[in-house]
Amino acid sequence: MSGKPGYHGRILEIDLTSGKSRTVAVPPEDLDKFVGGQGLGMKLLWDRLKKPGVDALSPENPLMFIPGPFSGLPVPSSSRTCVVTKSPITAPLKSDHRHASTVTYSNMGGFFGPEIRFAGYDGLVVTGKARELSYIVIDNDKVTIRDARKFKGMRTDAFDKAFLEELGDRNYKTVYIGPAGENLVPYSSIIHTAGRAAGRGGSGCVMGSKNLKAIAVKGSGQPGVADHERFLAALEKARRALYGTTYAKSWAEQGTARAIVGNSNAGTESVRNYREGTFTEADKIGGDAARRDVWVRDFACYCCPLACKKSGVTKGKYGGVVHDGPEYETGVMLGSNLMISDMPGLLRAIYNIDDLGLDQISTGNVIGFLMEAYEKGMIDRKFLDGIDLTWGSVDATLAMIEKIAAKEGVGALAAQGVANLSRHIGQGSEKFAIHVKGLELAAHNIQGNQPRALSYVTASRGACHMSGDDIAMQNRRAMLDSTGMCFFPTFEPALEEPMLELLSAITGHEYDKAEFEKAGERIFNLEKMFNYREGFRRGDDKLPDRFFEDAFTIGAKKGAVLDRKKFQDMLTTYYQDRGWDPTTTKPGEAKLKELGLEFV
Amino acid sequence: MTRDNEQTRQHQTTFTRREFLKGVGVGGGALVLFGQFGIHSAAWALSGEPTLKMVVVDYNKCTGCRTCEAACSSRNRPAAVAGKALPGLGNPYFANIKVHNFNPDVDVPNVCAMCADTPCAKACPVEPDAKTGRRAFYRDDVTHTMHNDANRCIGCGSCAKACAAQRTGVIRPNPETGKPERMCTLCGGDPQCAKRCPFGALSYVEVRRDRKFYGLGPEKIAAELARNWYGTATLGGVK
Ligand code: SF4
Ligand code: SF4
Ligand code: SF4
Ligand code: SF4
Repeated sequence: MSGKPGYHGRILEIDLTSGKSRTVAVPPEDLDKFVGGQGLGMKLLWDRLKKPGVDALSPENPLMFIPGPFSGLPVPSSSRTCVVTKSPITAPLKSDHRHASTVTYSNMGGFFGPEIRFAGYDGLVVTGKARELSYIVIDNDKVTIRDARKFKGMRTDAFDKAFLEELGDRNYKTVYIGPAGENLVPYSSIIHTAGRAAGRGGSGCVMGSKNLKAIAVKGSGQPGVADHERFLAALEKARRALYGTTYAKSWAEQGTARAIVGNSNAGTESVRNYREGTFTEADKIGGDAARRDVWVRDFACYCCPLACKKSGVTKGKYGGVVHDGPEYETGVMLGSNLMISDMPGLLRAIYNIDDLGLDQISTGNVIGFLMEAYEKGMIDRKFLDGIDLTWGSVDATLAMIEKIAAKEGVGALAAQGVANLSRHIGQGSEKFAIHVKGLELAAHNIQGNQPRALSYVTASRGACHMSGDDIAMQNRRAMLDSTGMCFFPTFEPALEEPMLELLSAITGHEYDKAEFEKAGERIFNLEKMFNYREGFRRGDDKLPDRFFEDAFTIGAKKGAVLDRKKFQDMLTTYYQDRGWDPTTTKPGEAKLKELGLEFV
Repeated sequence: MTRDNEQTRQHQTTFTRREFLKGVGVGGGALVLFGQFGIHSAAWALSGEPTLKMVVVDYNKCTGCRTCEAACSSRNRPAAVAGKALPGLGNPYFANIKVHNFNPDVDVPNVCAMCADTPCAKACPVEPDAKTGRRAFYRDDVTHTMHNDANRCIGCGSCAKACAAQRTGVIRPNPETGKPERMCTLCGGDPQCAKRCPFGALSYVEVRRDRKFYGLGPEKIAAELARNWYGTATLGGVK
């Protein structure tokens, strides 16, 4: 036991260059101030990268898997692991540092985070670079690095099965990359259970740069808590807030896929490369259709009473694979955004993207951009290696997905993301290259949703729809993603009090709503300072022209478009309210002091 | 508490034989399958006069969330806090129920089937006690739960091997002593797994004492479910 209750007080650091691992104590005050997950990951990144401009794909960049204080305890939905590293995708408009990029974090459900804590750690930090493709096995205190060359190029679904066979023990929880990560496609994902992903921000690419195919973890321990009886009582309350409720049932019923039709109707969906907010054929790929034609069962992450995940199988030309989906993001980015309404085709695209280890969101965004450039005649079929990349074409989409993962032909260009693609194509295509700081936007469209636009431009990892639409929400989510709890159950108001109670009982630090948000604010500000140090300024908090010029022509928000002045005014107010300089976006001394971030 | 109890009771009454067969996903072929290998939940499906209760699984409702593991561990692995025995923090490593996750997505909670013919106990080489007739591995005649007499047990692992080869494979010998662990205790008649399952996938139901059935390992059940749900029986990590 460490000094700080609720934690092991140590992380496991594995250096792939030397092949050595060691446990490193985490100062109790860091655990207290940065909590875990996204926050602790950020602090560890700050400590390890002492200078700006470190190449994200260099051995120096640590790749970290950080659970939180809820992880490993049977707290409802305490399934998340945050993967934190320096981004291989983002870039500032200008900077003195050649490899300047933002922090990146990606939050993943399943069973990996809890297992890290069962194995006796508050996080895994991987540094260095292995000489050959390798994998890491962690069995409590025993850590081994093994040759993974025979798995080279293996897709994630096959690897998930083969890896457990190789380990000979299904108690291991595993994460791995696919061919895309091995090929260093910047927007590669890290996959877990063949269908869950740390998708956004390029963590799979960083893993690939380390020559690391996979990590397997199992353990038999558990961290202690500060107040045992209080914990049990709060656990009881938390369960009661969710079990059997209409709220929980609605998640089990359709998961996030419910919003495929809902957001289309509301005019807030990413459709036709963000040209529209409504997809007239959304009902063909929505939750009702999936429930009727595809889904066979609901499944859940560790100790989660929501079960938002659904697996199913389809028949026909594109059928034959068992997979999770469509979810909102995957269904919209590969469906509505590409005008694809063929359900089996959509599911095949989703499956292939996970199978290759790509980020669903960036991949869908990149293909949407290319479809539009092709339609507008800015690129021709020759540019696309003969692929007839028209709106709604499943075959063309599938062909492009393979090219991207293999970085073959046009895929090598497409793999660089829409910012680089539009730079290459020119002809004014940057107006519809939908990214912020180089990271592609997600499935929420914003011509008629200015608060969500704020989330995209001010998020620490580049365009992020989850970051929060205002300051309070951003602080709250930064903290939530540091605890190990999933975001979805927390919309249930009845969970709020038991959740804070649990966190206090576990850590011995009293949290109320204000204290919770304060911790989040500290984390958000440290991320900001990291990005600022890299050279990101106000000019980088910028949206492509489309959102100010191309008003929706259909749907509930027909005519909606963002106003440049209103948008800039909103940003100025935001920086001021944050205690940041509105010209440079630098957090002020007073704010840093107030948050206990004097060390930056 | 009240709501939980109500929930459990409801599952019991609404859990029909037809549902059960759907649950194990084997339909018409079910009985053949039972005949060949047996499946522990069949105890209930085929039961008549009910006198004994046990935990059975509805695989259609299970989501693989593993809350049952935590609940079981919390009860059966209590913690000593300031001299007081309290429910533990629910470390799933110590649970008597274990949820096996597979690819493609199938989850199979595995718990002692309380086999009528106890191949585990029969495999124990320790001479039966003259008074009780019990080997070091034995069945409680009232609850039918399986127990280990740690004083006489030599830690040979024969019980675990017999269970793994013939039935569910729930017994895990203690890594240091080799003595058997993870046999379901039925939580003294208040099964925490059934009570805490958020999806009503576990039920504590009455079965016949003289039932004839055999437990089936999770891999076999998973393959059957995968075939039924997805049309494939190829499972990852299973040789
Ligand atoms: S708690 Fe219920 S749903 Fe969750 S794994 Fe156990 S049996 Fe399945
Ligand atoms: S499941 Fe295993 S331990 Fe339980 S009674 Fe059957 S053989 Fe014995
Ligand atoms: S391990 Fe103990 S209980 Fe099991 S068979 Fe051997 S002696 Fe009997
Ligand atoms: S009845 Fe009790 S001992 Fe048996 S598996 Fe369920 S929780 Fe564990």
